[in-house]
Amino acid sequence: MTNIDELRADLLARITQSNDPRSILKADEIKQLYTVIPTLDPSERGSYGKAVNALKVVLEAAVVERESTLEDSTVVPLDVTAPWDVNATALQLLSTEQGTQHPLTRELENVIDIFTRMGFEAIESRQIDDDHHMFGALNFPENHPARDGYDTFRTEEGFIPPAHTSTMQHRILKAGKAKLEAGGNIAAVSYGRVFRNEDVDATHEHTFYQCEGIFVSSDATLGQMLGTLRSFFEVYYGQKLKIKTQPAYFPFVEPGLEFAIEKPAALGGKPGDWLEMLGCGMIHPNVLRAADIDPEKYRGFAWGGGIERLVMLKYGIEDLRHFESGKLQFLRKFNS
Amino acid sequence: MIISVNWLKKFTNIDVTIDELATLIGSRLVEIEEVIDLGKKYQGIIVSKVVECEKLEGSDHLNVTKIDDGGRAVDVERDENGLVQVVCGAPNVRAGMLVAWLPPNSTVPESFNDKEPFVLGARKLRGVMSNGMLASAKELDLFEDHTGILEVDADAAPGSDFAEVYELNDYLLDIENKSLTHRPDTFGIVGFAREVAAIQGNAFHTPDWLNQLQPHLDVQDAIEAPSVTIDDPALSDRYQAIILNGASGAAQSPIHIQSYLARVGVRPINAIVDVTNYLMMLTGQPLHAFDYDKVIAVAGGRADIHVRAGHDKETLELLDGRTIELTSEDIVIASGDTAIGLAGAMGGASTLIDNNTKNIILESATFNLYNLRATQMRHGIFSEAITRFTKGQPAELTAPVLAEAARLMGEYADAQVVTNVAEAYPGEKNPQQIVLSTKTINDTLGSKFMSADVIDTLHNVEFSTELVDDFTVKTVAPYWRADIHIAEDIIEEVGRLNGFDTIEPTLPLRDFTAVHPAEFDTLRAQIRKSLVRAGANEVLTYSFVHGEVLKKAGQDVENSYRITNSISPDLQYYRQTLTPSLLGLIYANVKQGYDQFAIFEVNKTHPKQHGLTDENVPEEVDMIALTVTSKKVKNGSAYYDAKKMLDYLGVSLGLDLHYSPIDADPNYAVSAPFEYRRAALVTDRKTDTFIGIVGEYKKSVSRAFKLPEHTAGFEIGTLALYQAVTKLTSDYMPLSRYPGTERDICFQVNQSINYGDIVACAEAVLQDSNLETTITPIDIYQAENSNTKNVTIRIKLTAHDRTLTGDEIAVVMQRVVLAAVERLRATIV
Repeated sequence: MTNIDELRADLLARITQSNDPRSILKADEIKQLYTVIPTLDPSERGSYGKAVNALKVVLEAAVVERESTLEDSTVVPLDVTAPWDVNATALQLLSTEQGTQHPLTRELENVIDIFTRMGFEAIESRQIDDDHHMFGALNFPENHPARDGYDTFRTEEGFIPPAHTSTMQHRILKAGKAKLEAGGNIAAVSYGRVFRNEDVDATHEHTFYQCEGIFVSSDATLGQMLGTLRSFFEVYYGQKLKIKTQPAYFPFVEPGLEFAIEKPAALGGKPGDWLEMLGCGMIHPNVLRAADIDPEKYRGFAWGGGIERLVMLKYGIEDLRHFESGKLQFLRKFNS
Repeated sequence: MIISVNWLKKFTNIDVTIDELATLIGSRLVEIEEVIDLGKKYQGIIVSKVVECEKLEGSDHLNVTKIDDGGRAVDVERDENGLVQVVCGAPNVRAGMLVAWLPPNSTVPESFNDKEPFVLGARKLRGVMSNGMLASAKELDLFEDHTGILEVDADAAPGSDFAEVYELNDYLLDIENKSLTHRPDTFGIVGFAREVAAIQGNAFHTPDWLNQLQPHLDVQDAIEAPSVTIDDPALSDRYQAIILNGASGAAQSPIHIQSYLARVGVRPINAIVDVTNYLMMLTGQPLHAFDYDKVIAVAGGRADIHVRAGHDKETLELLDGRTIELTSEDIVIASGDTAIGLAGAMGGASTLIDNNTKNIILESATFNLYNLRATQMRHGIFSEAITRFTKGQPAELTAPVLAEAARLMGEYADAQVVTNVAEAYPGEKNPQQIVLSTKTINDTLGSKFMSADVIDTLHNVEFSTELVDDFTVKTVAPYWRADIHIAEDIIEEVGRLNGFDTIEPTLPLRDFTAVHPAEFDTLRAQIRKSLVRAGANEVLTYSFVHGEVLKKAGQDVENSYRITNSISPDLQYYRQTLTPSLLGLIYANVKQGYDQFAIFEVNKTHPKQHGLTDENVPEEVDMIALTVTSKKVKNGSAYYDAKKMLDYLGVSLGLDLHYSPIDADPNYAVSAPFEYRRAALVTDRKTDTFIGIVGEYKKSVSRAFKLPEHTAGFEIGTLALYQAVTKLTSDYMPLSRYPGTERDICFQVNQSINYGDIVACAEAVLQDSNLETTITPIDIYQAENSNTKNVTIRIKLTAHDRTLTGDEIAVVMQRVVLAAVERLRATIV
């Protein structure tokens, strides 16, 4: 054993000096340790073998450390203030033709532009939030079964990657209360990333984008909600559209609806083809109340829908997974 | 959830076609995922009578039968009496029996959805002609039954259409449950039928027995009722139980009951169980039957039932054979103190009904839906019963359903009620009155309903309703509508049942005040467009990363919020910066054959060290990161490629970016991947705003992400950029009418002198000259093995009031030279 301890000290010393530390792992002294094994009493072989292995682990770690020190010492500092490197020529940017904006951010800009022109302010949604904004303030009681539908992730601290952009609703209502009470309206869209804890395939993603809208006034109606949504889609698709609805249940609205448009001709739609676009409804009095807005005086409507679907329909994209894949093969198709 | 249209028709008229019905339900009640035509499966099946039945010679189990099909089948061989010969192997076949005959050319229903459905023919079996087959319940795809062929138990003449006899010419609606989460009543056929009536504009009449909230029970030879206690009223609003004796565990329910259960997805078992399931599907109220003798044995001979919370460490063997450990969130049914069932979820093995069961305890109860939901998740129980319980069935419903169950068990299983109802009812509630005006309804919906429309609509779904005055309605919801509490609930009912699509879409009025696009968004759009013009590709990557990605990038996982219930380790940590996500994309794209490219992302990051906001949620940090790589084209170090793109971005935003060397590894999440000796801190000079970092990556990072050697990038704060841009003031200078003059000058300096030092030195001198000056780099040269480098810059001088003379220029240039010689020990080449 003394033999091994001595060898360890010796080899470690050599490694810290070496410019090729890895070669020391192949030193004859180590090989010889193995040749000793058959000569040992069988009862000693086990502990001897363990000691040899422990030695190898220690040496390997030392080699890695030395290699990294060596590597570090070979780093040549640069003149970071220079426009280009020594002996190089003036640099060019990459070709503009190969530059592309992501189709999702482009479509979001487009959607937000339309809503802005319609009178809605845009606010980006948070990517990490708490139970209160995600559920509590939106009339989802603790343990309510409706929470099941959202498959939320949770952090150790109990924060939630929001499963809907409605996580901004409470903030928008609170911020807009003063304007409302001064005789104005609350008109805002919140947009951004949302997260659901589900497996990914061509039509499911755990990460996707939504755009949510809120309108509150002293005389908002469900008819106005239908008109506002129809108007948005007519501008978006540049044509007159038929709409239809279906009752739905979301705790933060009452009544709650699913909203569909007749598939536009531009997307190859025929009469009778419907596209479900979003969920919507009249804001539940409890949600207004949570933001300290008097539901006896004010009413509102809200809606929320996915962005990926708009993009997929527009370009005929076959697989949801492309969006977050970072594949240039996909991204460079959007250079127009 | 499957809804049988024929079952609905037992409670309401349906005056429209199936397609119209599906559309109507879709627009006024709930999404239908699929309409299934059940009748197609049962086409051509004929109820026939076995007239003769004889052993087939040479076979130990086959019989030759002659059947009377009323002469219905065509193209089939008949004997002189018009009977058809069918060979049958079922042990229960006998003369005089009424059977379901599948004639030649009909399809065996069990195989109907197979790739190659089994179509019958006429063929010889052991030399004897057999036409089609006599079918078992399994072959008819009704239910499992091993006793042999199905004996038709209906009063039907031979030749009757089998599908008609059992109402199998049916459509099944596959319903998307989720949007009925708040509507426990629609989880029963009666409740669903009520809706179907009302959306057609028809009044619904609930069967009388369901309206009997204190039903009469026909009790014979009464014995003492069991004692029932709800130990904690928060666990259960109501618990009722009765004891029946003489129940035959072997009795089967009639085929029409079994066939309705089977078509909505419930397996028929025996009359007792079938009755509980049948009533559950009909009303939404689950029932549970315990073996009475087993229950009292557990409690030392007494029927002493408790509803209580599970004890810690308590275990219970369920009837599916699993033994589970209970928690105080589970509700259990106990006999004495011993748990005998997991309330609302599943019965216990110890009190299971079996073929020897004589006496049963029948339970009709409601339980706290939140507890049941937790139980459901914890123990993974997803039965039809718990699905209904977790919607919150009303306590009133337990009584009429219990009475009906007792009646049906008497009818189908010879059971006799021997006790009065034992009951605990701590959760009794008074009906709630809602008063609202027609104007409120119309103001909310934008509709034009008259008070009479409102009254009619609510009457159709059996709300008791009266007019307070011409424009005000007072209404009380029936007991099964536990979801109705506030005026908005009534508004929804009126709008929905009349069809939201009948409401005229309008637009809110607004003034002409312009809405400003958010400046932060506008800036981000500008940044994207600028980087795209520079030839970069925008990517979006996940907000979560694998712990290994953080480690590879040199970041500390402790600085990331950790997701505890992630589906994959790839999504376990919130990212601290964007760069690691970009680095993760380089190798795959290089492998795809892209030799030279830049990718960037504009997104939020969530480093833990930034702490919480005023709202106590984590700070979000908006970042922009770019990585540029080149496998082949190289012109000096990669650092300068990244800097070039960042410079371009800065210029396009009106900024003047300044790059300073880094003395030591700064140890921040943002700088972690960067090699500090080949990276710079970036500041906007115009506003003195720190922006971020640009540089090459550490060798360890480069190796871990398999980056091409020539790779560099930057990561900068979007908010910092925004703050700089908003602080900018115009630095426009009027154009000079006089020509400018350019002079190139080459300094030889020690290699340790930075280009920036030379420019700064020249600028300091030029600042005092009262001239408009610009400095452009021309060349940076260093001979091999030399410790000096030659830096050539071009200085352009312009005066606004005169043309500069050669002498004037020489004086300025001389001062620049002198300064460089003095401060930088430069020599002029």
